[in-house]
Amino acid sequence: MTVHEIRTRHCDSKRGDASDGAVLAEAVGGRLSRVDGPAKITGAAKYAVEQQLDGLSHAVLVESTIAAGRVRSIDTAAAESAPGVLLVLTPDNVLRLNTATDWLGTPPPDAPYYPLARDITFSGQHVAAVVAESFEQAVAAAALVKVSYDEMAAIVDLSDPKAGDGIPIDAMTKEWGDAQAAFASAPVRICAAYNTPREYQTPLEPHGLIAHWEGDQLTVWEPSQWLDGMARTYAEWFGVPFENVRLISPYIGGGFGSKAFAYGYSAVAAIAAKMLGRPVKLAVTRPQTFTAYGGRAATRQTVALGADAEGRIQSIVHRGVNETSVDGMWVEPLGSVTSIMYATPNFSSRQNVVRVNTVVPGALRAPGENPSAFGIESAIDELADEVGIDPLEIRLRNYAEQDPEVKKPWSTRQLREAYAAGAEAFGWSKRTPEPRSMRDGNQLIGWGVAAGTYPVRRAYGEAVVRILADGSVEVESSSIDMGQGTYTILAQTAAEVVGVPAENVVVKLGDSRYPRAGVTGGSRLAGVMTGAVYKAATAALDQLVGLAISDPNSPFHALQANTLVVTKGRIASPRGDGPEVSITELLGSVGRDHIEAMGDTMPANSTVEDRYKNYTTIATALSHTEGDYSRHSWCAHFIEVRVDEDFGTVRVSRVVSALDSGRLYNPKLAESQWRGGIIMGIGQALLEEGIVDRRHGRIVNNNLADYLIATNADIPDIEVISVGIPDPHSSVLGGKGVGELGIVGVAPAIANAVFHATGKRVRDLPITLEKLI
Amino acid sequence: MTSKTPIHLDINGHRHELEVEPRVTLLDALRDHLGLTGTKKGCDHGQCGACTVHVDGQRVLACLTLAAQAEGRAVTTIEGLAEGDGTLHAVQAAFLEQDAFQCGYCTPGQIMSAVACIREGHAGSDDEIREYMAGNLCRCGAYPHIVAAVRQAALEVAS
Amino acid sequence: MRDFSYLRANSIDAARQAAALPGAMLLAGGTTLIDLAKCGVTEPDTVVDITHLKGLDTVTVDDQGAMIGALARMSSVADDADIKSRFPAVSEALWQAASAQLRNMATIGGNLMQRTRCPYFRDPANFPACNKRSPGSGCSAIGGVTRGHAVLGTSEACIATYPGDLATALVAFDAIVHLGDRQIATDDFFLLPDATPDREHAIAPGEMITAIGIPASAAARRSTYLKVRDRQSYEFAAAGAAVGVEFEADGRTIKDLRVALGGVATKPWRARAVEEALKGKLLEPDTVRRASLLAIEGAVDHGANQYKIELAPRVVARAILKVGETA
Repeated sequence: MTVHEIRTRHCDSKRGDASDGAVLAEAVGGRLSRVDGPAKITGAAKYAVEQQLDGLSHAVLVESTIAAGRVRSIDTAAAESAPGVLLVLTPDNVLRLNTATDWLGTPPPDAPYYPLARDITFSGQHVAAVVAESFEQAVAAAALVKVSYDEMAAIVDLSDPKAGDGIPIDAMTKEWGDAQAAFASAPVRICAAYNTPREYQTPLEPHGLIAHWEGDQLTVWEPSQWLDGMARTYAEWFGVPFENVRLISPYIGGGFGSKAFAYGYSAVAAIAAKMLGRPVKLAVTRPQTFTAYGGRAATRQTVALGADAEGRIQSIVHRGVNETSVDGMWVEPLGSVTSIMYATPNFSSRQNVVRVNTVVPGALRAPGENPSAFGIESAIDELADEVGIDPLEIRLRNYAEQDPEVKKPWSTRQLREAYAAGAEAFGWSKRTPEPRSMRDGNQLIGWGVAAGTYPVRRAYGEAVVRILADGSVEVESSSIDMGQGTYTILAQTAAEVVGVPAENVVVKLGDSRYPRAGVTGGSRLAGVMTGAVYKAATAALDQLVGLAISDPNSPFHALQANTLVVTKGRIASPRGDGPEVSITELLGSVGRDHIEAMGDTMPANSTVEDRYKNYTTIATALSHTEGDYSRHSWCAHFIEVRVDEDFGTVRVSRVVSALDSGRLYNPKLAESQWRGGIIMGIGQALLEEGIVDRRHGRIVNNNLADYLIATNADIPDIEVISVGIPDPHSSVLGGKGVGELGIVGVAPAIANAVFHATGKRVRDLPITLEKLI
Repeated sequence: MTSKTPIHLDINGHRHELEVEPRVTLLDALRDHLGLTGTKKGCDHGQCGACTVHVDGQRVLACLTLAAQAEGRAVTTIEGLAEGDGTLHAVQAAFLEQDAFQCGYCTPGQIMSAVACIREGHAGSDDEIREYMAGNLCRCGAYPHIVAAVRQAALEVAS
Repeated sequence: MRDFSYLRANSIDAARQAAALPGAMLLAGGTTLIDLAKCGVTEPDTVVDITHLKGLDTVTVDDQGAMIGALARMSSVADDADIKSRFPAVSEALWQAASAQLRNMATIGGNLMQRTRCPYFRDPANFPACNKRSPGSGCSAIGGVTRGHAVLGTSEACIATYPGDLATALVAFDAIVHLGDRQIATDDFFLLPDATPDREHAIAPGEMITAIGIPASAAARRSTYLKVRDRQSYEFAAAGAAVGVEFEADGRTIKDLRVALGGVATKPWRARAVEEALKGKLLEPDTVRRASLLAIEGAVDHGANQYKIELAPRVVARAILKVGETA
């Protein structure tokens, strides 16, 4: 097997036009092009299921066609006798696994886990699998598996009369003042319901894996946002030591929250590989990506705002509901933005979760903040209209100078700056306030604004930095790069600290054998891992300089210097006296082939148990309000839409977003992620909706022709402006989150623009033409 | 039926002999039988563009093309785009410079599509590029960067 | 996908003979056949590859009209200079369909044979009832998710929308389907579902589309195809209209008008009532909008597709006004 290696290359790496001063492209903060780019643009980058293994067999899933009930029987005879078939797995012969610890670290019940179900709780549940010599044979044989069911009535969605009010989630309750009374007595009151549908991550790389057992050692090639967490799951399922499981995931074809866990099909493939004694590949089909794991839960919120005649908020009363599955729990925190965006003396937010017959929902870019912002950022726009105040002005009028919920100062909050920079670049001052007041022929033009935010999640990471005798530097970590730019920013970090060109740094990620990392999600990885690499690289540099000063064979030994500097891979005295030698020459003279140091961001004195917990669960992650500050990224989106007044079609024609992600480790890549989030938000606002056949409890548009995501033709130029400043309270190097932030607030900005264009307020996403026609 | 038949495929200027069932698509032949995994499978139904390759110089979808249909035609994949000495095609270089990808999974299809888009004469304006690149979905949302890369490469190819 | 035999036809006659065998299907661009085979909707025993036949991919345009070979690719017809100038609606219907890659694959003949995008039709594993797939099994769509379904030409057996754009333009301009020596008007080539939605085309086993002829007309020369959809590109029509107009010598009075609808009916839908209502009239916005309402006479919705009844006449009106403007 090949160990993944990346070497940085010269691209436009000498431009140096970084946002925070004249930074060399390859230093932290510089606009270095992606170091993993050459592999991706030449087709050399091998994604998980692309490994070519001898004896590889192919597994295909059979899924339930009912949403509730029980499997009566499975007729596998035809499939078993089909050409090339090696194994047909059903609930009758599938291996019994242990239930694994969940991601929160909750100890599992002492109960078996079967990844193939007899009791059906949603349509699309795995009930059988066929393994064959070829993919084509497995597909054909899977179609021959006949499953019969005893069907029961399903609860299809939140609006199902059988769904009820759900389960109150007390941990989501946030209250201060007397929100109900203050709302009742407020001079101006608005109250409305905002709904978001099921939405799906739809990464272009469908999920899947290759599982391969050698004795009791399991190797899994699987796209992963969390190698150590997934390795733990496999280890616990099969009752083998954690160290026996190796996850390999050098490239991930998009995750957006969906690739952090080992799912049922992962277990199926690993079981089949164990039973057959040969490697098994299971590639989830595109339709199966809608049911093999969950997308964003459908949500409903009511937002009641009480204000004075000048639009100053006196009370916010917020109620939210999200769907979850019959036997799993997913809470989409709907009050997360509601409680912090605006200053209010009275506040109440509560949330229920309703069980329906669906796969358990999961994380999709900015879970919680995304739908939460749709509610509050639409509601404040409605308030602005009600009191006749400019939507930007009302946001400034209610600006929260500190975190209204925990009453702590913000670590940094450049939201006012974002409003100013965005409004200036957009030309907001030219907006005419009346709805339907701007048009171009048949097209009504609307301008909308909305803010977004995402908390700074902090966790732990480790890295090894190795200075090699050839003068190159290696960085190793089991963290991952799914397009955010981890390879690149870690190369920049190590290069800057050690003092070598970035092209001399090799970053190795995506292998659970490397030093550990927690989940890549919640926009935490860059801050965590640059911190770990910074510490490891600093330690390695200290060792190098220490050797140079103290080793009797060092050319610097006679100099009696206190310190030395390394620049472009050459070591010298800062005073300029004495010799100047390369790293290669120094290590040669002291007889070392490398120097190695580990760095991590864990608290001092962490135990072995702490370490395991830190990297395989999120139980120990730090709250964004821990300590003296409340830490968040912030943004403001200014969006122009064009609505065809006859057809109701909405097109986004202009976007200016100003964003505060603190210090940017690489502005070129951060801008790409911001734009990506904004673009996903445009799709969310206008296109994306999982549509359920209410008779069958089944998503019928489970493919990329019918579940519409934005195409290139739907997206205009998008101007992004960084207004962040380094935030020392958020990360070692001053950055805050990037990846989730961009999407938060886009949908309400578009809904607000549509209102400005048409005078119609759409409170149910997506804003499709029949809602405006 | 259900018998493998020998076919010859001309891929990136090299002749490949393989035995496949008639139902094997060009995409699966490339990825599973020939180890040419640069061409990606995103939907397997012609809905995403990740499997875009050139057949006789035209961009097509390998997932809806039978391998047998490609016999006797020249197939070019992402692996065959750069020059033999590794010099990147102008479109590849522009994608890197403009940061026209993130996860990289749709990228080979985007690049193969972009090369053809320029060759077809459909890269005359940003709006034309957007329309004629709309058959390649990118979930990371690199679209404005892709437009910039195609625009840049079109100028370089023209000059 | 079930396995099948692959035959490469080396002549039209050989292709016809092979296609007449039980379980045989012609394979051209493959964008429908391979897709539906993967869905388990089509299960050919033999596919007869006709893409290597010579001489069937030409486009000839003269004063009599256009003759388009059945194997001409959608992309090459869309970009053909004569088609663009004399039949702009045909070119516009083509380039707005599918994606550049699919248009490079799909042939004109194959495009006419394109099947519906009804999600129930496309998913036999989950929805066994489909009169189009299995006559008499019922219709899963009726009572289900119907946002994309037809409002015109439906029956109790089927409400599946004909998805194509090109054929909408073809029926507007009286194009002729050539099945070798037999010729049939495109409007007659497509069948209403009635009680037999499994029969979609007036084509017999062993017959093969060889060409499409489009008669020249002043209305075709002054024509457009307007496509409205949720997404800007790479999506089937929520509603589409192919419209062509010819004015009297005064340049204002409508002499000839052609109107056909796509995306709203079970077949490409010629709207003759709109044509007749406007012939002899001045092309004025209010007149056009009123007459366009005739396009959806007899329309029946199934809930979520009700918007199509609102949308279709507006698309027709906009298209008529657009071709009227561009004098």
